[in-house]
Amino acid sequence: MKRSLLIVMMVLLAWPMTGWTQSRTLTGQVISGEDNLTLPGVNVRIKDTNRGTVTDIDGTFSIPVSNGETLVFSYIGFVNQEVEVGNQNTLNITLQPDAQTLGEVVVVGYGSVTRGDLTGNVASLKGSEIANVPVPTFQEALQGRMSGVFVESSSGKVGEGVKIRVRGTSSISGGNEPLYVIDGIPVTSSGTIGKSNPLADINFNDIESFEVLKDASAAAIYGARASNGVVLITTKSGTSGKTKFNVGIQRGVSSPTRRNEFLNSAQYIELMRESGYNNDLANGLDPINNPADYEDSDLEFVEGRLDRYAGHTDWREGNVNTDWQEQAFNPDAGITNVNFSASGGDEKTRFYFSTAYDKQEGIMIRNNFERISGRLNLDHKVSDRFSLGANFSLARTETTRLPEDNQFNNPIQLVALAPITPIRDENGVLYDRPTTTYYNNLIDSENANWLTTSFRNINSIFGEYVFSEKLKFRSDFAVDIINQNDERFFGSRTITGQGTNGFGTSRWARIVNYNTNNYFTYTNTFSDRHQLEAVAGMSFQKTEDNYTRVDGQEFPLDELKTLESAAEIVEGTSTFTNFSFLSYFSRINYKLDNKYLMTVSARYDASSRFGENNKYGFFPAASLGWILTEEEFLRGSEGLSLLKLRTSYGLTGNAEIGNFDHLALFSGAFYGLEPGLEPTQITNPDLNWETTAQFNLGVEFGLFNDRITGELDYYDKQTSGLLLLLPLPGTTGFATYRLNTGKMQNYGFELVLNSANYADQNFSWNTSFNFARNINRVRELAEDQNSIPPSSSRFLNGIFIGESIGVFYGPNYAGVDPSNGDALYYSNEELTETTNDYNEAARMVVGDPNPDFIAGITNNLRYKDFELSFLFQGVFGNEIYEGGGGFYAANGDWFDNSTARQFNRWQNPGDITNIPQARLGTCNGCNASSRYISDGSYVRLKTFSLGYNLPGSLVDKMKVSNARVYLMAQNLLTFTNYMGWDPEVNADYLGSTTSDANVFQGNDFYSAPQAKTISLGLNVGF
Amino acid sequence: MKFKNIQLQLLMSACLLLFSCDHQLELTPAQGVEPDIALGSSTAITRVLTGAYSGLRNQELLGGRTILYAEMLGANNEIRWEGTFNQPREMYNKSIFTNNSYITNTWLRAYSTINTINNVLEVIDRVNESDRNRVRGEALFLRGAVYFELVKLYGLPYAAGNTETNLAVPIMLNPTLALEEVTFDSRNTVEEVYQQVLEDLETAESLLPESNGFFARNYVASALLSRVYLQMERFEDARDAANRSITVATENGKSLIDDYMSAFNNPADTQEDLFAIQVNAQDPDNAMHLFYSTPDFGGRDGDVTILPTHINQYEEGDERLEQFVERAGEIRTDKWRDQFRNVKVIRLAEMYLTRAEANFREGTSVGATPLEDINRIRARVNLPAKSSLSLEEILMERKLELAHEGHYIHDIKRTRGEIQDNNTDDLQYNYDDPRMVLPIPQREMDANPELVQNPGYGG
Repeated sequence: MKRSLLIVMMVLLAWPMTGWTQSRTLTGQVISGEDNLTLPGVNVRIKDTNRGTVTDIDGTFSIPVSNGETLVFSYIGFVNQEVEVGNQNTLNITLQPDAQTLGEVVVVGYGSVTRGDLTGNVASLKGSEIANVPVPTFQEALQGRMSGVFVESSSGKVGEGVKIRVRGTSSISGGNEPLYVIDGIPVTSSGTIGKSNPLADINFNDIESFEVLKDASAAAIYGARASNGVVLITTKSGTSGKTKFNVGIQRGVSSPTRRNEFLNSAQYIELMRESGYNNDLANGLDPINNPADYEDSDLEFVEGRLDRYAGHTDWREGNVNTDWQEQAFNPDAGITNVNFSASGGDEKTRFYFSTAYDKQEGIMIRNNFERISGRLNLDHKVSDRFSLGANFSLARTETTRLPEDNQFNNPIQLVALAPITPIRDENGVLYDRPTTTYYNNLIDSENANWLTTSFRNINSIFGEYVFSEKLKFRSDFAVDIINQNDERFFGSRTITGQGTNGFGTSRWARIVNYNTNNYFTYTNTFSDRHQLEAVAGMSFQKTEDNYTRVDGQEFPLDELKTLESAAEIVEGTSTFTNFSFLSYFSRINYKLDNKYLMTVSARYDASSRFGENNKYGFFPAASLGWILTEEEFLRGSEGLSLLKLRTSYGLTGNAEIGNFDHLALFSGAFYGLEPGLEPTQITNPDLNWETTAQFNLGVEFGLFNDRITGELDYYDKQTSGLLLLLPLPGTTGFATYRLNTGKMQNYGFELVLNSANYADQNFSWNTSFNFARNINRVRELAEDQNSIPPSSSRFLNGIFIGESIGVFYGPNYAGVDPSNGDALYYSNEELTETTNDYNEAARMVVGDPNPDFIAGITNNLRYKDFELSFLFQGVFGNEIYEGGGGFYAANGDWFDNSTARQFNRWQNPGDITNIPQARLGTCNGCNASSRYISDGSYVRLKTFSLGYNLPGSLVDKMKVSNARVYLMAQNLLTFTNYMGWDPEVNADYLGSTTSDANVFQGNDFYSAPQAKTISLGLNVGF
Repeated sequence: MKFKNIQLQLLMSACLLLFSCDHQLELTPAQGVEPDIALGSSTAITRVLTGAYSGLRNQELLGGRTILYAEMLGANNEIRWEGTFNQPREMYNKSIFTNNSYITNTWLRAYSTINTINNVLEVIDRVNESDRNRVRGEALFLRGAVYFELVKLYGLPYAAGNTETNLAVPIMLNPTLALEEVTFDSRNTVEEVYQQVLEDLETAESLLPESNGFFARNYVASALLSRVYLQMERFEDARDAANRSITVATENGKSLIDDYMSAFNNPADTQEDLFAIQVNAQDPDNAMHLFYSTPDFGGRDGDVTILPTHINQYEEGDERLEQFVERAGEIRTDKWRDQFRNVKVIRLAEMYLTRAEANFREGTSVGATPLEDINRIRARVNLPAKSSLSLEEILMERKLELAHEGHYIHDIKRTRGEIQDNNTDDLQYNYDDPRMVLPIPQREMDANPELVQNPGYGG
């Protein structure tokens, strides 16, 4: 840290003086173009410097300038104005009022529009708003900032998948992640090795803007892949002029957001002995009061186990009290970021260049993420007609990875070990079974390695030819290459390598995605009233995925970790798969009299994934907009600066299914080293995309010169032809069948409010608020099918008509029988009868993992050179199921350590508690039921930043144009009633198939809590 | 003018770019073939037959779980389940939940294997004539074997009577490859399933060769038939089937291994193995090793302990006691100690025991006298020869010889015995107790409205 700071400082100091002379003082006055009154508090700055002033009460200013400099006048609610300083000594400026949002350029599919002309629903976010957020992927940084965009990291493991849902979950068995398009290229966003997240390869300092296309009008131009929304990412490009450099460094520390409380040694001993003793009493034995009963009693068994777990110590003496949970966390967790960028160019050629280093030392042991990335975006004007350009990016990410949550070597599973067990024996060697209750996965820290290295190359070239002012053609070609290697070695002491003198795996994946877009854009204005823009073209995409894996064991020494040294190769496999999309698209934007807007778009999509009877799909959409404030009757009305109505309707598709799901297939199934074949799936020649028909009605408004702006939208997404995995009778030889059937609905509303609360010379305060309520309902399944009940004995998620996807369905826990300590379940749906027999319990919907609503509120405050920004983000009304509860919250059912709450178990007749009597190995209430469900709502202080812009005088001395130091914190505070670790959770191993990932929501299974990070940083521009 | 021509050309080539690549939509999978290929040639069909073995060897089926279930249900306070997995523990406690994932997976795996077999049988005429009988025989053997496991696990025992009304499992004899072929079948009776098993195995026995590597052979079908007849208490047929199996097997080089413990933990079939599931590092499934072994041998934590109540039943000097070793803090059986070793399905020793018992019950001496057969078993483990026998002694010899190999519960069921509960001393389960019959998996009940749940599982 110190050294890198020093280097940056040296670079800065060595930078040659840019050399300006402050020859004279310019004075002037600023007036409002709206009412011709003077404007106090207008910011007057010299471009690309830190020098500036503010107009006084009469709207006048005075500032030292030199010739050739450019003055920038900015004031909230008005269009910025730039004036190059000539020879004049006075300057009077009229600022034009601006529906600031109206002028903003919004990137849409195959083009861009000004926000004022938009008739669809598009959420936008500037890359600068999430700059320096200390998380590895941009997805995490988007959380809480865009309305209707739900973001959830499955756990605090770094570099893993992030779930994003745009306006709810529209598919049961198909993918639900949005389509990611970077600079016009649909990029690979899944399918890499294990749980790695291919979007973690993107350095989000390079991102200029995010646009999320939410309604049909905006998204339908992406056709068969647009149902889940489309995230458009635009990377930065250079601007002509002086070359600008930016250097940033940031360093921070991380810790878990929340911990769970477990029993200490004394409590553990008490609970386990009681558990065994209760069994004995039930069998008519009393080994405590009647020593003859001790032999072969369960109490003897428990005490034998305690002896075993205590290792070289004596549990009766109570000297050992190991906090196993703490062992799972990395005390040195933190983040480091160093980035550098340069941009500039001339009239013909512009460039943006960047490089960055990011490191996240995860809060879990053995879990680190490191990314080195570089980018060059270049464009060049060959002639007035022809321009071309290229974007090159290269990133290397290295992740030391953790196994899935259900593995014994998932660090958090250490909590299962007994607090009476010392970590190490007398010789300092880590204890393992049989002394530890389960595998002591700290051994993995000493005796295993797991590293995933990924190289990511997203390159595109494009050319644009202008035939005339009205017609141009653009063609681009891109490749997105992921080259990934995953090397694992588990030494001879680990659970994985123990029986085989070590176990190693080497995996390679290469995913190559080719894409080309070719389209015409035609713009014209007829009779001054009719503005028309039309886009038409095609795109083709093909993705090829190669994967190779070799497993070996029997290593001579733990020092030799590559498979060359393995005496026995136990698995070697390679697979290849591919898919293609061929698409034609068109869009027409029409504007009449600057107030009536219309957009019509359509896409015609074909894919190798669809059955032969349904290769092509057609996805049209239309929308209308009406800017009421342009009408005579509202123009100039007091207080109302913008009122716009818009509505849209259209069709989109979801094609996120397997590549060859439509075929009947036999696949390899060997036996005894002899080759074999077995049927693996049933044919469906009709298989095609899921179709979503979406209606959207929205109103945009601006009040008081756009000091308050907002958007309110209602939407209704009706998805039909769901790609459903229909459960078949297993007697057919298959468990499921994929067909287009069933319907799902998502409807709700979204609200966005932006307010410039206050602004003057020294102080400004802006607030931005977003809120989204989505109601998800399964409307129809296959014929005669009312539900897809839970398929797991440990988890409860199921699918039921009329309910949200993945609701928790199972026995409803009725607490504890006060007379005998039995766990009770309701035996009828009316909840009037109870039973202590789990099999007799009535099964019913007992919870919903889908939030009722999500919201975020950002406040930006500036006082002189200080900037304060904080984002509260919240998820409300969802429930979480603790799948590990049957182990760590099972009232001493087995020897797993229990959460502290379990200590409040039933002990004597009449006890009123929710925790049943401890009974060893008899599962008194340990089965999957509503007992393990708790409220998952939370509010978080997601991002908190405090920045200080070094004042002009100091910056001048440093010979730089600006310098900023800041404190940035992520997940600083979390407010929740959730009983487990962190409420932002979803056990990663349940999402191994797409349909599982959709249905198994809101589950915690020894999942890592999120990271709380506090960092300090410095940005310098020159 | 010239400029305009160039523009026109550019415009035309731009248009051309827009319309191409249609052929790129026809992609074929690299890891699967369609049925016309998989069932289109004699070679391909024999590969599908091997695929059926692959289904059978899965740990959810004969790769260990069916043995594990038998051992858990028949724990009899002689072994103790100590593992954390709830699925075996539920069977051990005779308190099984209908969503028990093991039971679900065994059901699914059994029927996917049956579907693979039915695919082979459907196109058996396409198999070269020289191979056809063997292929058909193997397919029928496999189907009979799977249905026999299913009827034992999911139906009341044959000995419980009412075989014409007690329900077992649906009999599926046709392949499913398309949605139109999906049917919703109800459960056939215990009698119907047993008759199907007999028909499949008897035909298999007549078609199979004596020598066929580790795949099904004629004397393996005989051996399995003897088990079926025993369950049906058709002792004469059991005796004859066991005798046929012994005769042909010994002619083909099979014999008891001198050292008892050498008959276990083998990477390949031994002289004593009539049929075993092949396990190696490529086909690693051995669910018995997983739960019965200990971490030092690549197992889990040692989930099963052998109790003194079991060990005390052996006579002094019995070499079979060598299997009991303290590992991971408790006494274990070493029958399942090593990783990547075959799962024993039928050992020759069982045939001698079956022949002895059946001869004894019938008062015959087909092949050998009961005393000769029993003393053959005893001599191998260094026990003195007996001079007289009772049925109890024969059954005890059988129990100890085949202990921890999944036999005891099925012997208790056919001999109308009882199983002692591990936790509660005065709780015994009668041989026909519904708690010792697995439930029909909940997912199957949900997917197929024609099914009726077993008694005691919430209807």
